[in-house]
Amino acid sequence: MLRHHLRRRTFGTAALAAAGGLGLTACGPSITSDESEGGGSDALQAPAADNPKGEITIWDRSGDLFEVFEGVIDDFNAVYPDIKVNHVAVDIDAKLQNTLITGTDVPDGVFLDDAKIGGYTDYLWNLGDVLKPYLGDIAQQKIDVNTVDGAIYGVPYDLNPGLLFYNAAALEAAGVDATAIATYDDLLEAARRYKAAVPEAGPVHLEQSAFLGQLQLEMYAGQLGTSIADADGELRIDSPEYRRILEFLDTVQAEGLGTRAEYLTPTDVAEMDNGNQVFYPWSIWFSFAPQQMLDATSGDWRAMELPAWEAGGARSGAMGGSSFVLPKDGANADLAWLFYEFLMFDEVGYTAVWGPNDTYPTGLNTSIPAYTPAADPAAPLFEPVEALGGQDLWAVATEAGAQIPGGTPTPAWWDGAVDYLGNDVQRMLDGDMTPEEVIASATEQIQTNLVDRQ
Amino acid sequence: MTATVKPERRPRPRIGSHAFLMLLLAAFLAPVAWALASSFKPAGDIVSSPLAFDPGAFTLDNYRAMFQDVPIGQGFLNTGVVLVFKGAITMFFAPLAAYAFAKYRFAGRNLIFGAVLITLMLPTIVLIIPLLLEMKALGWVNTYQALILPGAVDAFAIFWMRQVISAVPDELMDAARVDGCGEFGIFWRVIVPVIRPGLAGLGVLTIMNIYNDFVWPVVVASNERMATLQVVLSTLAQNITGNRIGADYATVTGELLAASSVALIPLLVLFIVLQRHFINGILAGSVKG
Amino acid sequence: MTAAAVARSAGTGRKRRPGAAGRRRRLAPYAFVLPFVAIFLAFSVYPLFYTARLSFTNWRGTGAAEWVGWDNYTYLLTSPAFWSSLGNSAVLWLLIIPVQLVLGVLVAVLLNSAKLKLRGLYRVAFIVPFVTPLVAVAQIWVVLFDQHYGAVNAVLGLVGLPDIGWLTTSAWAKPTLALLFLWKTTGFIVIILLSGLQSINGSIYEAAAIDGASKTRQLWSITVPLLRRTIMFAVVLQTLAVFQMFAEPFVVTQGGPYNSTTTAGYYLYNHITRADLGTGAANSFLLVVLVMILSLGFVRMLRAKD
Repeated sequence: MLRHHLRRRTFGTAALAAAGGLGLTACGPSITSDESEGGGSDALQAPAADNPKGEITIWDRSGDLFEVFEGVIDDFNAVYPDIKVNHVAVDIDAKLQNTLITGTDVPDGVFLDDAKIGGYTDYLWNLGDVLKPYLGDIAQQKIDVNTVDGAIYGVPYDLNPGLLFYNAAALEAAGVDATAIATYDDLLEAARRYKAAVPEAGPVHLEQSAFLGQLQLEMYAGQLGTSIADADGELRIDSPEYRRILEFLDTVQAEGLGTRAEYLTPTDVAEMDNGNQVFYPWSIWFSFAPQQMLDATSGDWRAMELPAWEAGGARSGAMGGSSFVLPKDGANADLAWLFYEFLMFDEVGYTAVWGPNDTYPTGLNTSIPAYTPAADPAAPLFEPVEALGGQDLWAVATEAGAQIPGGTPTPAWWDGAVDYLGNDVQRMLDGDMTPEEVIASATEQIQTNLVDRQ
Repeated sequence: MTATVKPERRPRPRIGSHAFLMLLLAAFLAPVAWALASSFKPAGDIVSSPLAFDPGAFTLDNYRAMFQDVPIGQGFLNTGVVLVFKGAITMFFAPLAAYAFAKYRFAGRNLIFGAVLITLMLPTIVLIIPLLLEMKALGWVNTYQALILPGAVDAFAIFWMRQVISAVPDELMDAARVDGCGEFGIFWRVIVPVIRPGLAGLGVLTIMNIYNDFVWPVVVASNERMATLQVVLSTLAQNITGNRIGADYATVTGELLAASSVALIPLLVLFIVLQRHFINGILAGSVKG
Repeated sequence: MTAAAVARSAGTGRKRRPGAAGRRRRLAPYAFVLPFVAIFLAFSVYPLFYTARLSFTNWRGTGAAEWVGWDNYTYLLTSPAFWSSLGNSAVLWLLIIPVQLVLGVLVAVLLNSAKLKLRGLYRVAFIVPFVTPLVAVAQIWVVLFDQHYGAVNAVLGLVGLPDIGWLTTSAWAKPTLALLFLWKTTGFIVIILLSGLQSINGSIYEAAAIDGASKTRQLWSITVPLLRRTIMFAVVLQTLAVFQMFAEPFVVTQGGPYNSTTTAGYYLYNHITRADLGTGAANSFLLVVLVMILSLGFVRMLRAKD
């Protein structure tokens, strides 16, 4: 029985065998990659044929976006009748890394979070050549986030401008004029006044998820044209910009002006619906909360540009966003490029994505195109949003999007930094750390555990 | 055979035990009941008012959307195939090998068994990449054999069956030998009947483990045609597990709860049907003894 | 023959007999283990060696792997995050195992009684959580354990208890995760204990009943000792499960708040998803060693009581 099973001798022999196995180089596949890295350029070229033929496999996340992209395939085939699109919904986070490392059944194109692209560049086509005609018309932030060591690895999909969502009805009832907010100091002042009128309120959302908190922090930093690390991977947390942002958050916390909740958990939703939480500085995709999840206050919410850090500063930063990447091991990546080119840079394509479609009868209003000719404030693709009181969110978002500064690349270890920077910000919001301590601790931890171990 | 229970002689449990079980049962089933009930609510309400149930708002929309969005029927089919073949391999070869480990001395026994224990202790997730490379070399990606063979006859089954078979008295085997039984005959006619309670347990756990497994199937079944039920679920869940950066959080939650409810039903039916057989089988084992 | 006697006779060596029967008997075990060994070598041992070699490299899934010797191991052993992940798992172990054993034994003993009404219903009911997809469970947990609007705090509020930040404070996140694990896996333990109970001879209880031993006394002085080996087996299995646990914290807490639910398994998982495959491999072997030591400790405890 057990004691027989776990006899030490058994372990001893097994350990010996394991040690023996280690010595045998013939055992197990060679760990070194045998692919010739030097052969051929890494830059993808568009197909030369007039009437390109073939089948492409495209991976997307399941859900609404899958349906939206699915709807564009027919339009694409009207232009390229001989390219068969095999469009599949997969759990990309769980699959992509294993698929790329082992080179098994690699798709031709994949929908991917911007923050993850840096980790996969070894497996992806450099799209510098094919994107060249469009680069001048793509939001700089999206180009930067897709660029690693001078090469660009993703076809930019959406731009996710940060906006200040606010409960206009509740603020008006309390005599606070939100539209006058131009800087974060104004926001603080408005929050204080709202709190004076509604004492149980925590007017400003303070994110309680370490990951989303860090993503939001990067939105604030993006407004100031900075991000966690520069293009050479040098940390930038120890800077006046981050100090300014952290001090603002710390003030909200210290003065009791915030609601601590995780994005759209029951507490978060309830605190919005009861009028306690009225300011939500977040990415444009917050817009589906009033549309789908808020009950009592749906229709009361509006969106505006974010406040500026200093008067006259940029009124938005990016939070989140995705792009399409083309793995080198995909059989027909060049044909997949044609698909994405059509989807993103052809008017028929981008109109089908953001304009009214079967999935979204009034259009897809949780992001805007990264391609600036498509993001014209005067030519809306999606319709005014009823849950925002019929507001023209398109105009607000595209004007905000145009102000997003560039120069904000995302390092490959961004996710890992949540354990340090994300957590430390949470500690600060709990009142357990000062902004200075966050900066010192996060900088040191990220340097030793992430940057130095790349 | 005396080493089995004769339950009919045991006294009837009292009211207290019933109350205890009922209470525990409520705690165990309440969360599932919530999921089931919520799957019939409008998607937005699930998140915004999770604890309210308004019969007037009853809807099948979540189910409709789910059946339209994901190939759950294909998922059932694939899980069924894997369940039958992988289950059969495990249920036959694990007790057989465990019998050898428990009742024979042979060269390499300790070595192999030690290796079994080490793999049992090794988190599966580190083996994924080597295994996937192996599947690629064999050309097995997106095939049933890739879903069935790795992990068939797993370390846990061997470990447990050896534990169970060790408890069978050697005298029974000796008696069978005197009667002229061959070595396999001893296993088949003596050991298997005696360890039926253990086999029944192994059967239940094997079914549950195969049904629940998703780490490996998600990776090796990239093709929709090969997706098992859990792969389908993980495809659906990716928009809300973790970071909830998705525009259709509420919709997906509704579809996910619908899919989970649908996924649960066949297994429950299976267990309720098997339940009788298990009890009968277990009793048969004791009567025979 | 009693179960104790059964246990004593188990595993005794076999005597050799001459002749064809003896030869068959010598060769039989090889035939019996062969199918298993074939599958095992191909799909377990081979990846195992591969992983062992990986643990001495800095391979990130692409390019050439550089041999780094013991670097990955020393990095982990000197990293506070590694130790705190072990600490988190140890606390979870303490929160889970004792409760699970008591619950498991009680439920299994009750369900083992043939006269229990609705026995079939109970048996199925206790494994329902085990087969409920984890992704759905995560949604359930978030709703049940929300600090201000969750069902659990609503119930506690009825008896005048304050709201508890189940998922949002590092003090309570571990108990909440432990509850999830208990809820999900206790049915599994019940099944294992049930099969152990079913090999206990019923006549022992008759004798005890004649001697006038109470039910509780029978449970404590007959069932538990006879079940001890099965219980130890369950403890070893759940120890492995607790230290390898990663899906539960991944879907419910993402290891937070403040890494308080970053279990040993989740910490390891993070290395792998961040393509730090060498460190991930090294981490897993350190876990094997740890779990091995713990298991040997339990076995020793068992032996001391024999």
